[in-house]
Parts: sequence; C-alpha cells; structure tokens
Amino acid sequence: MSTRAESDFALPKRARLHLGDLALRGITGAAALTILIVLIWIAYKVTEQASDAISTFGLGFLTSSEWNAVTDQYGARDLIWGTAVTSFFALLFAVPISIAIGLFLSELAPRRLRGPVGALVELLAAIPSVVLGLWGILVMGPFLEAHVEPFLNDHFGWIPLFSGTPSNVGLLPACLVLTIMIVPIVSSICRELFDSVPSDLKAGSLALGSTRWEMMRSVAIPQVSGGIVAAVILGLARAMGEAIAVSQTIGGTARTGWSLFGSADTLASRIANQYQGAATHLQQSSIAYLATILLVLSLAANLSAALIVRRIRRKLGAR
Amino acid sequence: MSEEANPLAVVTKRSRRRKRVGVLMEALATAAAILAIVVLAIVVISVARKGLPAINADFFTKNPAPVFQTGGGIKNAIVGTLIMTGLATLISVPVGVLIAIFDTEFAPRPVAEGIRIALNVLAGVPTIVVGIFIFGVLVVGHGQSAIAASLGLSIVMVPLIARATEEVLLLVPSTLREGGMALGATRARTVITVILPTAVGGIVTATIVAVARGAGETAPLLFTSSIFANSVVTDVHQAMASIPLTIFVDSESPSVADQQTAWAAALVLMAGVLIMGVIGRALSLRTRRQIERAR
Amino acid sequence: MQRFRRSALVIFAAGTVVLAAACGSGGGTTTVTKNGGATPTDSKVLTGAGSTLVYPLVSQWEPDYATKAGVTVTYGAIGSGGGIDQITARAVDFGASDAPLTADQATACKGCLQIPWALGATVVTYNVKGVPNNLHLTGPVVADMFLGNITSWNDPKIKALNPGVSLPDTKVTPIYRSDGSGDSFVFSSYLSAVSPDFKSKIGTSTQPPFSTGTGAAKNSGVAASVQSTDGAIGYVAISYIAADGLNQALIQNAAGKYVTPGVDGIKAAADAVTTAQKDGSIPLVNPPASAATAYPLSTYTYAIVPKSSPKASTIKAFLTYAITDGQQFGPDLGFPPLPSAVVSSDKTEIASIS
Repeated sequence: MSTRAESDFALPKRARLHLGDLALRGITGAAALTILIVLIWIAYKVTEQASDAISTFGLGFLTSSEWNAVTDQYGARDLIWGTAVTSFFALLFAVPISIAIGLFLSELAPRRLRGPVGALVELLAAIPSVVLGLWGILVMGPFLEAHVEPFLNDHFGWIPLFSGTPSNVGLLPACLVLTIMIVPIVSSICRELFDSVPSDLKAGSLALGSTRWEMMRSVAIPQVSGGIVAAVILGLARAMGEAIAVSQTIGGTARTGWSLFGSADTLASRIANQYQGAATHLQQSSIAYLATILLVLSLAANLSAALIVRRIRRKLGAR
Repeated sequence: MSEEANPLAVVTKRSRRRKRVGVLMEALATAAAILAIVVLAIVVISVARKGLPAINADFFTKNPAPVFQTGGGIKNAIVGTLIMTGLATLISVPVGVLIAIFDTEFAPRPVAEGIRIALNVLAGVPTIVVGIFIFGVLVVGHGQSAIAASLGLSIVMVPLIARATEEVLLLVPSTLREGGMALGATRARTVITVILPTAVGGIVTATIVAVARGAGETAPLLFTSSIFANSVVTDVHQAMASIPLTIFVDSESPSVADQQTAWAAALVLMAGVLIMGVIGRALSLRTRRQIERAR
Repeated sequence: MQRFRRSALVIFAAGTVVLAAACGSGGGTTTVTKNGGATPTDSKVLTGAGSTLVYPLVSQWEPDYATKAGVTVTYGAIGSGGGIDQITARAVDFGASDAPLTADQATACKGCLQIPWALGATVVTYNVKGVPNNLHLTGPVVADMFLGNITSWNDPKIKALNPGVSLPDTKVTPIYRSDGSGDSFVFSSYLSAVSPDFKSKIGTSTQPPFSTGTGAAKNSGVAASVQSTDGAIGYVAISYIAADGLNQALIQNAAGKYVTPGVDGIKAAADAVTTAQKDGSIPLVNPPASAATAYPLSTYTYAIVPKSSPKASTIKAFLTYAITDGQQFGPDLGFPPLPSAVVSSDKTEIASIS
C-alpha cells in the first residue's frame, strides 16, 4: 500500500515529457496546492479580522471574563472554560463507551452482527448536528430538567457539578449532545485499531489462559494505545469545534462555574450567536479573535493526531 | 473450561474472580453498543413521530407563510439546499479526485504525506471558522450568495472526497497500472482510461457520503446564506433558503407551528441523509468486492 | 472507456467553469461599488436585514409589494445590531434597527440615513405559575429585577403594586437578548431613565451587560425562553405578545397610569414627542407626564439606508410604499400608523437618496 515512487518505472524520456502527462500532473498538482493555499488563507483571513481585537487586548483576552458591549471590553475566559468543560465531560463519557463499542465490534460480537451493528453506530455520525440540536432543545433538555437534574441535585447536590437550579439548557445537555457526536468517530477508529492487532498476539494471550477481557486489557489496548490517543484527540477536536448543536442547547450566557446545570457558552457557540449582530466593530473583531483561538486549538489537535498516526505507521512499517 | 469436570484443574478464588470480571466487562461492552443503538433509535423515532404529522403535499410545494400565520411549507428551502449542495458537489468532486490522483500517482512520498496531513487538518477545521473565512472573503462588500455558501460547503466536502478517493485508488491493483505502462501508455492515459474507471464506484460512494454531509451542514451557511427570501430563488448570486438553516431558526422559536416545521424539515433531511448513507455503504462494499475480484 | 473519459472531462470542465464563474463574478447583480457607481444593477430584488421588532410587518410587506411593484424584498431578521453591521458592510441594500446609530456607527456607515418607518413598542413579559396576565409593575421595580436586587416574585415591592394578586415565592429569572437588539436598546434606555442604579450599573445599549439571568437570541428566542422557564421575566417586541400568547406587564408611566401596550398607548407617546434629535431619531421612551395615556416603552423603528446606492430608485420606491400603503398592515400587529408629520419629513429624506 505504498505510493508509487517516481523511480519505480523508468519511462523513456519521450513518454515522460508527454504533454498529457504534464497537463495532468499540472492540474492535479494545482488542485493539491489549493488545499494548502486554502488552509493558509483561512488562518490569514480569520487572524486579519481579529487583528483589531488582538492589538487592543493582546493575550489578556484569554484571562478576562468581561463581555460588555457598552464599555467595549471583551474577554474569552468564560468561553474557553465552557469549551473546556463541555469537551472534557463529552470525552469522559464518550471515550470509555467508544472503546467498549470498539471492543464489542472487534472481538465480542458474533460475526454476522458486526456489519449491521457497526453500520448502526456509524449512522449516529450521519445525523446532522442541527437535527441533534433540535432534539436536544425540544426533547432531551426538558427531560433532563424534569427528571435527571432534580434527581442529581437532590441526591448529589453537595458536589459542585450538580449544584445549581435544573434548567432545560446548559452544560449538561450540551455535553450529552457532544458525546453522541463523538462516540461514532472514536469507536469506529478503535474498532479498526483492535482489528489490526495481529491475531497471533491475541491468540497467544488467550492460549496462556487469559480471559478475553484480560487479553484486551493487557495485549490489545496497549498495542494500539497510540492510536487510541489519536482517536481521542480527534474526538476532542470535534467537540471543541461544534457550534450549531451546542449553541442550540447551551443557553448562551457565558460563565465560569462548576455547575453543570444552567446556561453557559463555548467559543464556537458564541461565534455562531454573535458574529452577525455585533454591536461594535471591536466586538466583531473580538469574536474573530475567538475564532482564531478555536482555529489554533483545532490545528494543534489535528496536527498532533496526524503526527501520532504517522509515527504509528512508521513503527508498523518497520516491523 | 468447566472446572468441575476436570479434577486436575486448579480452581482458585482468583480464577473465579477473573472469570467474573471478564464476564462483567464483556457485558459492559455489549451494553455500550446497545446504548449507542438505543440512542440512535430514540433520536430517529423522535424526529419521525414529531415530524410526520406535518408532512403533506403543501409542505413540499408551498413557500413559508408570513410571520405568525400558519400554513405554508419549505419549498424554497428544499430548492435552495438542492442547488447549493449540487453546486458544492460540482466543485468538490473534480477538485477532490484530482487531489487524490496527485497523491497516488504523481507526488513523491513526503509530499503525498504532507498533502494527506493537510487534508486531515482541513477536515478538522471547525465549520464555523470556515463560515467566518468565506464571509470575510466573499460576503463582505458583495452580499450573501448561494455561491459563497457552496464554496463554504466545498471546503468541508473536498477533504472527504479526496481521502475516500485516495483509498479506492490505492486499492486498484498495481498490475493494472503496470499493464498500462507495459502497453506504452503514458501515465495520464493510464490514469484516465484504466485506473479511474476501476475506481469510479468508489468515487461515486465518496461523493454520496460527502453530499450527505454537505446537505446537513449549517455553520458554513450561517454567514453566507442566512438572509433569504421567502420564495424560491434560483439565482446563485442571491442567498437561498436551506433546510438546515430552517431547522436551526425554527428550533429556537416559541411558536409550536415553527417547531413543527423544524421537526418535519429534520425528518426530510435525516431521511435523505440516512438513505444516502445506506446506499453509500452498500456501494462501497460492492466496489471493494469488485476490486478484490480483479486482483 | 471512451464514454467514461468523455464524461469525466465534461465533469472536470463543468467544475472548472463553475469555479471560474464564482471567482470572476463574485456577487454580480448585488455588487455595490465603493463610490456608488453609475452601473444600474438588477432592481427586481432588494435585500435587507435587522430588527426583529419590525420583522412581522416587513413580512406582510414582502408579498404585497411583490404583487404591487414586482420587486422581491428579502429580509433577514437578525437583530438591530446585525442590521447595522450588514448595511455598514454594504452586504445588504437596507438595514433596519429600533436603535438609532451611535456616533461611531454613523461614522462607520459612511453617510447613512435613518428613516423612521414604523411605530412599535417593547413589552415586558413574564411567566409565573399562578400569576395572571396584566401584572402591574414599575420601571424601578423591573430595573431591580434585572439588577438582581429583587430575587423572588413575592417580594414586598411587587406585592405592593399588585394587592389583589397572590404571588408565589418563585425565583426571578431575568431573560434578556443576547444579540445586538433594538428591543434591548429601548428596554435599557427606559430603565436608565427611571432608575439611576440601572443607569450607572448597566446603561443604555443594544447589548447591555446584564449581570444576572439568561440570554436568548432574537425576539423569538426570548419568547421561547420565557415560555419554558417558570419565574421568568423578559422583554419582547409587541407583535410577539399576541402571537405567542405571552403575558404582558403593565408598566406605570410618568403620569402614574398603568397603560396597556397597544396601538393607543403607542400613538399617545408618538403624539407627545414630536421633535427629532440631531441625528434624525425620535426617542419615545419614558414620555413626559403630560401624555397621560402613553405607553412608556414605545419606539420608532428605523430603516437605515445609504445616501447613495446603485439601487437608489428601487429603495426609494420601497421606502415610500412602506411609510404609506405599508402602514395598513400595522394595527393588527400592534403598530399604529406613522404620524403625518413624520411621513412628510421621511419623504424629504427619501428624496435625498441618490
């Protein structure tokens, strides 16, 4: 499965200089170049729109929780907090579930079921985020407010997470919606990873008397741990970047606080809500600054996941 | 592993506990899979139950009624989504396929890896940031337009098509390539006349999956095609209504009629997306089997 | 093979053509050249954006004007702040805002006129289980609720205003507009006028920095939020009260009367305040005590248009329609017709658009 190296086929010079070849190579090369241009252009354009805010607030923007259109002071702290909390809890719920599903599909499920069940889990990813958000506002939110949150508040209200008044919007519905989005992504990667563990390793462990779970825990998971980390990072990137479903379920009042109940806001959701109606130019620029932060975070996440995958491929290739 | 029957087996408390832990873990894994499917069912059934009552002929053939009046449908949104997604597909399929060809046929190894990483990074850019980008480039000074929205959708779709096409191209056995070369054909000719036709099934699948994704994207449309007429618009220089934005706006409305419209529109969108997903998956299995057979 | 090659080339060609068209024309018929150039552009379409207060009225104008003049008007209700942004960026042909342009915004808009084209009002709404409609409230009490000084519905200050009503001890949840909103401007400017505490802590703006409560986008968002939260108090544009079946609070005006929000109360306010400010705006909030039946949170809502535009004639025709024939749709939605003095001064302004 390697790309064709140039020297694989020694073509006679005549053929190499054929116009058709050059044309195709030129067109396809241009297409590939467009990707790089678009990436750089995105970074440039977003940062350019943010430049006023960056020069006005500098890095203090990251630690300030002001968001005041009258005094024209803005800060990203509450939004970074909201993004961090929603992503963290979404991962907390999604990662164990996804690894479990990956294990199920790879090892436990009867062979006939693996295809259909895997397809159903992937169908979760096909649900458009706006539809999940719709369901979140009108079905899950009210359900959480009426049944789940009061229960948690009554019995575990001493934990800061479950303090506060039950509400049909807030961090909890947003986290759950994000969990539903991340699970299909991470679990399908995990399944492929577990499938790729050499069967002789698995068989050897079982032969030595491990239970299936012990085999997974001590052989399969460690074997693909790097890949799992990459999958988790990709899930994190997805959670951080989701704007639509989160803006529908989270309420929109930014705050830094531990309670999972009640309105909050994230970077992506605030951009979706306020970019078009900003009262002053500095506010619009500040929202672009939020987008820059989001872009940096997602670039960091995606690049590190890509590099981990490259390292794993190299290791596998070297075997 | 029945310990009772074998008098030589050493049954310790530990081995029984390990076995119990194993069973517990397997049960949890199964429960996780069931949980995922149950959630899928809950969402799909919710949408179907709440959306179905509003689905009638009017829904597809009428434009929205003026504010606070009932009746009307989402004709303009359906047309808008079809046009914008169609436009985005027309742009992203050639670009995506060309990139995949470059990566597999012409690019030296490090360059190909770099492009693959770039594609993954582009795929990971939050769609709301793509929306801000396109707004800054195409909407400021010119106004919203379906073209701007389509270009935003293309940015989302190109990496999907490029990656999937690359996978299919790599599956094409090298014997086909070598055969073409051996017959004296140029690289270009081999690609166009031999490799692409073999991979066309996979490209179609990739397109279907990308279209399903693009039709449901809301964020790229938010700043590029959100101010639209309540009637059908076919001029691509104007902003057009779209199904995802209709759902987005109506989902936050206090009026029950609007929420009903949101559910029904979600049903239409989800039905389309799920059907495309199922077809895509079936096609991809078929293509894979075909290529395997050709090996 | 041949067939595929040809179709492949056709697809590539089509894609390239589309790309070229997209890059080349970049907005074709709706391009507004920087110096208001002379090239006539498609005058069959007008795009506008802004206030959600005036949106119900504009959505009645759209089909009517299309039949009368053959022009399709597209309006995006994204909030007054958004409308000002869009017209400043010349991304639309006209903006709509209940809040007049600030000095900064006027400079950024580079020669924009603000033309009052409808009369409306913002209404304080609430949702408390067991509490009936038409509760009596005063400006200072509402200010205290939004400042967090009054935290439950059975506070003595509210009880004093409503002796016959039994009020539960439900927590007060203020709901405010999270987007740039003309209704926020009206609401905050009224509260700033009657409560020095509110004026110093929060002030007047399209996006007041409320410190307590929950934000929701657009009038529809606030209405939805109030409806689904027990103990909520919020503010919405007048049309949304009847349409969504919301409760309305009667706010005591300067003359001491509790006036029902409606066409009569708004008209009384408009009759009492007739002088325009230097920037052309006419603030109707907190009319003097001489206007006994005036509703204190009334407001004009403005169309914001560039002084020069390639679509000048279409814009002028539409605005003229809006302030004359268009007004007939107003009363059903809670908008009284514009006073004739305003209509004439509007016509003069409109004539100056080129």
